[in-house]
Amino acid sequence: MAITFKNVGFTYQAGTPFATPALYDVNFNIPDHSFTAVIGHTGSGKSTMVQLLDGLELPTDGEITIGSATITAATKRKTLNGMRHDIGMVFQFPEAQLFEQTVLADVMFGPMNYGMSKAEAEIAAKAALALVQMPESSYEASPFDLSGGQMRRVAIAGVIAMEPEILILDEPTAGLDPAGQADLMALFANLQKERDLTVILITHQMEFVGQYADNVLVFDAGSVVKTGTPAEIFADSDWLRQKQLDVPAATQFSDYLEAKGLPLHGALDLDQLADEIVGLIGGPTHE
Amino acid sequence: MSNMILGRYLPGVSWVHRLDARTKFILSMLFIFVIFMANNIYGYLFATAFVALSIIMTGLGFKVFFNGLKPLAMLMLITTFLQLFFMNTGTVLVHWWIFTITTDGVINSVIVFVRFMLIIMFTTILTLTTPPLEVADAMESLMSPLRKIGVPVSELALMVSIALRFVPTLMDEAQSIMNAQRARGVAFNEGGLIQRAKSYVPLLIPLFVNAIKRAIELGDAMEARGYRDGEHRTKFRVLKYTKIDGVAFAAFFIFAIGLFATRFI
Ligand SMILES: Nc1ncnc2c1ncn2[C@@H]1O[C@H](COP(=O)(O)OP(=O)(O)O)[C@@H](O)[C@H]1O
Ligand SMILES: [Mg+2]
Repeated sequence: MAITFKNVGFTYQAGTPFATPALYDVNFNIPDHSFTAVIGHTGSGKSTMVQLLDGLELPTDGEITIGSATITAATKRKTLNGMRHDIGMVFQFPEAQLFEQTVLADVMFGPMNYGMSKAEAEIAAKAALALVQMPESSYEASPFDLSGGQMRRVAIAGVIAMEPEILILDEPTAGLDPAGQADLMALFANLQKERDLTVILITHQMEFVGQYADNVLVFDAGSVVKTGTPAEIFADSDWLRQKQLDVPAATQFSDYLEAKGLPLHGALDLDQLADEIVGLIGGPTHE
Repeated sequence: MSNMILGRYLPGVSWVHRLDARTKFILSMLFIFVIFMANNIYGYLFATAFVALSIIMTGLGFKVFFNGLKPLAMLMLITTFLQLFFMNTGTVLVHWWIFTITTDGVINSVIVFVRFMLIIMFTTILTLTTPPLEVADAMESLMSPLRKIGVPVSELALMVSIALRFVPTLMDEAQSIMNAQRARGVAFNEGGLIQRAKSYVPLLIPLFVNAIKRAIELGDAMEARGYRDGEHRTKFRVLKYTKIDGVAFAAFFIFAIGLFATRFI
């Protein structure tokens, strides 16, 4: 399902003294089956955008198309419940959504709400829990007895088990240890390939953007100010820094070497950079 | 969820904002009694003018005050209607079955309505122009004489302050948990009563779990910093009467005398 935002604007609590405009004239296009990274300074409207995408809020202006469905300010809220079926959303700090008595029951909750039978939901839930590497011994434990990192993984499993076509991830790795972060990102990338998902990832970690994304949206002050491939976006590190963003460490290092006169051209991750350098030296290629 | 106007502070720089919270608290209470001195149209006009002037001085505009009435609209209408039917003196206007509407009934219900509205609007000035924590401080300060008879005023005030402090936090959290559960297919406010009630379980459990967790953490943090109960702690927010408080009391006194005078017109 391709996603299009056309002149979308949104104001929180519109029409009250507490009205806070959050999005202005947002336009972009997310192709089907793509891995899109959304980057931008805190408060630039990324989370708001994905909430509109999941029909949790209605746009104040403009039009959102998801597959064949269209959402505008006039859309009836009740029709949105049905629309969410195909969209899985992992919120910031998703561990706050756990509530069931056992881990397994919590992961089965979403799938069953969207019409899977108990048996189907259990199969989907166990598969999802295996994907996020939760040991089988934990299935009957209370989710509230888990560690923070485990709670995060169970919450994510709860979304994966819904078998959505579009997977939205709002800073899914925030607050995890580096190994846990890399594991989760690899999991999302694999899942995208295996199930042919459309993934939308909000992140502050440019390394992951360079490594996995094939499409990037840059948010600034409530608008999309640039779209393109990671290579296009990371080509102008000065501009990114102006937007309080950064480039991956590998790109930064490559730019630095380039400034010193080496004929490199902005590698996006460490493997690429290593290959390029090895190519320069003339040794056997990496791997 | 967070669009409740009643009890929500709107920052500003007006004189009313700068009044001591205790002044606003005392005057709000006094107003509820003083308004009953009005017994004719001039009295109510005078009181309305006074409330309108006070609202203008907050610099917030009338709209937010009328919005503040909305949650209580039902209560106001019911009270007004009861007046309409229970008053049986005066000329009969309408008589139907056991219901009788008389001129006195109409006049009385208008009076009750206006009085109700004036009281709500005037007391809303306190909540709209004073941060909730200052209201709590004011209550503590005004209740402090009760300490002599063993009421733990400071502890009560601390509890109220902490509760107030966490209201917006919990509201935001409720909103985000609600969104997360809606994304997992929960339809709030749909279906029959039982289904509706059931749909709130996935919201309430995480909300309570987090609230309790937060309370324990706050308790630990307070203990770690050496919090002890006791009477002689100093304050971060100090309430202080200034000249404008004197002016406010004087203005209110003049208003009260004026209102009393309207009884003799
Ligand atoms: N529930 C809300 N009510 C009012 N304003 C909000 C709410 N959520 C976010 N905002 C405001 O909307 C803007 C965009 O926020 P958000 O989408 O969360 O940014 P990001 O995810 O990019 O950090 C910010 O100015 C924020 O203060
Ligand atoms: Mg965000």
